[in-house]
Amino acid sequence: MEIKLEVNRKHYILDVTEDERLLDVLRNRLGLTGTKEGCGEGECGACTVIMDGKTVNSCLVLAGQADGRRITTIEGVGSRRSPHPVQKALVEVGAVQCGFCTPGMVLSAKALLDQNPKPTDDEIAVGMSGNLCRCTGYDKILRAVRKASEEVAE
Amino acid sequence: MDYFRPLSIEEALGLAQQPGRLFLAGGTDLSLHMREGRINPLGLIDLGKIAELKEIRLEGEWLEIGSMTTFYDLGQSDLIRKQAKALWQACQTMGSPQIRHQATIGGNLGNCSPAADGLPPLLALGAEVELVSARGRERVLLADLLKRTPLLESGTLIKGFLIPLQGWDSGFAKLGRRQALAIARLSTAFALKRQDGVALEVRAAFGAVGRRAFLSEPLAQSLSGRVLNESWLEDAVKGSQNAVAEALGSRASAPYKRVAVGGVVRQALKTMLGGGNHDGD
Repeated sequence: MEIKLEVNRKHYILDVTEDERLLDVLRNRLGLTGTKEGCGEGECGACTVIMDGKTVNSCLVLAGQADGRRITTIEGVGSRRSPHPVQKALVEVGAVQCGFCTPGMVLSAKALLDQNPKPTDDEIAVGMSGNLCRCTGYDKILRAVRKASEEVAE
Repeated sequence: MDYFRPLSIEEALGLAQQPGRLFLAGGTDLSLHMREGRINPLGLIDLGKIAELKEIRLEGEWLEIGSMTTFYDLGQSDLIRKQAKALWQACQTMGSPQIRHQATIGGNLGNCSPAADGLPPLLALGAEVELVSARGRERVLLADLLKRTPLLESGTLIKGFLIPLQGWDSGFAKLGRRQALAIARLSTAFALKRQDGVALEVRAAFGAVGRRAFLSEPLAQSLSGRVLNESWLEDAVKGSQNAVAEALGSRASAPYKRVAVGGVVRQALKTMLGGGNHDGD
């Protein structure tokens, strides 16, 4: 089955199987392995990508459902030379340990700040509630999002 | 497996006449069931491109909600907040942001998990469901639909929900093992028609108590036509505990849930009665 995707501002026409997930398309067909598979059932948020401006778990989106949509993965956010404010803040605060959850965390934070540049602490907690971290703990991650929001708002 | 992306309801119904095909709504449950091998459809009919199914609107005396409306869209809607408070509340806490962006209210009914967060509010609000199939249309009270087995005949599409605009207050609360991403262990929604401090009519619904969400008629009757005061509240709590104990019988979860429901009901009623400020502004 053929689908059209826009991923990180590039357009693709791909031949995919019907039971393939967006996660599989990104990792296996496009080589975008920054999107991680954690639980594979929508619990952990490691596979979070932004689809038409909203975060989704790419492990729960079938390839056909992504047809015609605009996707942002971690590869499309910031660069080594010019990291996104969220990425910069995560490093500065020391909010990354193993890093497996980090791509998903960055995308949830970016989507939150794109929509709401000055979130309250409660809004940050809700915005990040779909992403689990098993090593850093949430305190530093939430602090980094707060720090990034101050930078974005300036 | 075939995968179809119809652009209209008519096209979708036509496709559904072949056996072995399933409608795909948000897919947050369906895609998992497929991966687990619990279902093996011959074809999926993805409803995501049918704009008509994503509308929220006022139509005469009814609030109409298309089945493909996401929990996120419901939770952002002023119409839902003002006219269907319990549903609006349920939409703030269902799943996670990622799930709310994708999961739909129609899928919530179609999948019909015992813990479906959307169903107790819709029950309490007296919602009707509009079903369509190649055989025709049907409008049925959600409470009646939930008593059917199977829930839907094959090839039947949930077009949407209709909530009567009766000016009732409503409230929802649930108990999960943590704040986000937790399947509800227990949920409740109440709706109330009140005048001059009297509860004229009441509806009380429970979720994650037995196989499907349900309305408790005896509880609703025992609370209707009475002055809203402390003893009304205590009777609502006690009555809910009895309703849950009866529904669960000797299930292992019964000793826990029949006690825990008291706190959940208090929370739902608190948001519903909250100082007479009806729309939460």
